[in-house]
Amino acid sequence: MYISKMMVSLILSITLFAQVSWGQIASTELLLGSPVTVSSHDKVSQFVAREDVAKAFEEMGVDPKMIELKVASLSDDEINTIASKIDTLPAGGDGGSIIGALVFIFIVLLITDILGLTKVFNFTRSVR
Amino acid sequence: MLGGCAFKDPLPEGRVYPSMSMNVPFIAPRADLCGSTSIQMISLYWQSIGEYTPKLSIQELDHRTLIPLKGGTLQAELMSTARANGLIAYPLEPNFDALFSELAAHHPVILLINRSYSWYPLWHYIPVNGYDETNRKLLTHFSDQPNEPLAVETFAKMWKRSDNWGVVLLPPGVIPASASSKKFLRSVYELEKIGMVVEAIQSYQSALIRWPEDSDIHFILANSYYRLDRLSEAEESYRRFLLSNPSHPLALNNLAILLSKTGREKEGLMLLDTAVSKDPEIQKMLLNTREELLKK
Repeated sequence: MYISKMMVSLILSITLFAQVSWGQIASTELLLGSPVTVSSHDKVSQFVAREDVAKAFEEMGVDPKMIELKVASLSDDEINTIASKIDTLPAGGDGGSIIGALVFIFIVLLITDILGLTKVFNFTRSVR
Repeated sequence: MLGGCAFKDPLPEGRVYPSMSMNVPFIAPRADLCGSTSIQMISLYWQSIGEYTPKLSIQELDHRTLIPLKGGTLQAELMSTARANGLIAYPLEPNFDALFSELAAHHPVILLINRSYSWYPLWHYIPVNGYDETNRKLLTHFSDQPNEPLAVETFAKMWKRSDNWGVVLLPPGVIPASASSKKFLRSVYELEKIGMVVEAIQSYQSALIRWPEDSDIHFILANSYYRLDRLSEAEESYRRFLLSNPSHPLALNNLAILLSKTGREKEGLMLLDTAVSKDPEIQKMLLNTREELLKK
């Protein structure tokens, strides 16, 4: 479902500098030598990776209206990182307390908090 | 019992990091949105001291950063959202020297920490806005109180669990204290690629002051000027780059195109004659450009 829009934006981005009547400007990317999107093969795999990330976002409950925007704003490197392992990547989010932790985990983490090895709970004061 | 051997000093030996603090505005936490609030706090800081205006609203930041089923924000998305908000996202080197040199330059940083252990991870982004040398505590907007002091030992363990991940968010024109030129130029180029060419130019110009010997910056600037159709500035920058790299094929190619755009095909063709490259892709590009110029 994202493929058509994304294909259009991809084609646009490829042709942005390729003004037919003037020859092709060598991009900054070429000079910086970042290992991304130089050959057409790379461009295709980039496109597939972006589709994968879009699908993963959808499965993870991201607002469909946001998906295209989110995917478009990620750099090629960032897309490649996410595409292969979104399930295992850390997602910083805990702003407050934890809910549903087992009593055992609670106690262990309480102790490690007090020892200054972790900082799970906001009410603990470490001995450090 | 927990004497010196239980806690080895996590700070590098022999380093003295002086106390400092910044007035980073505090925003109270909202569930799962520490990525968004961290960006907001840093954005407000730069807004309060300089000529920076955020490009996104709080709602947009929240929406862009949150992945509901993950209950948080990916590192890549923290960076891409900061860029969409008009900031350069420079990946911090994963060590204390880099962290403290940014703090000393009054650049707040966002770090990823695991508040717990790997078997029960609680990933969390924290803006760091100061250091208290006497008590060896970092000052962070950790949770629901501003400037919460965090013992270096505890902090080091939590930070280590993310492989010491962090990012410096800077407005256009400001350069990270710990930056290497190439890494910085790449971070700025990411901003340029999402359309903020004027902002990127501002940062490239600062980079030129910081690293005057890095001639690549002239080429990168020239491309940005060209993109905005500021052709005389682009030409001047290509020529400056060519002073130190006279047979550079990419710059000669681009300058030749620029010259043909301004009615100087002959000079363009002469330049192309001096371009040297062994790369077949680049040879092909030069050949195409030559053919286009000959058609004029």
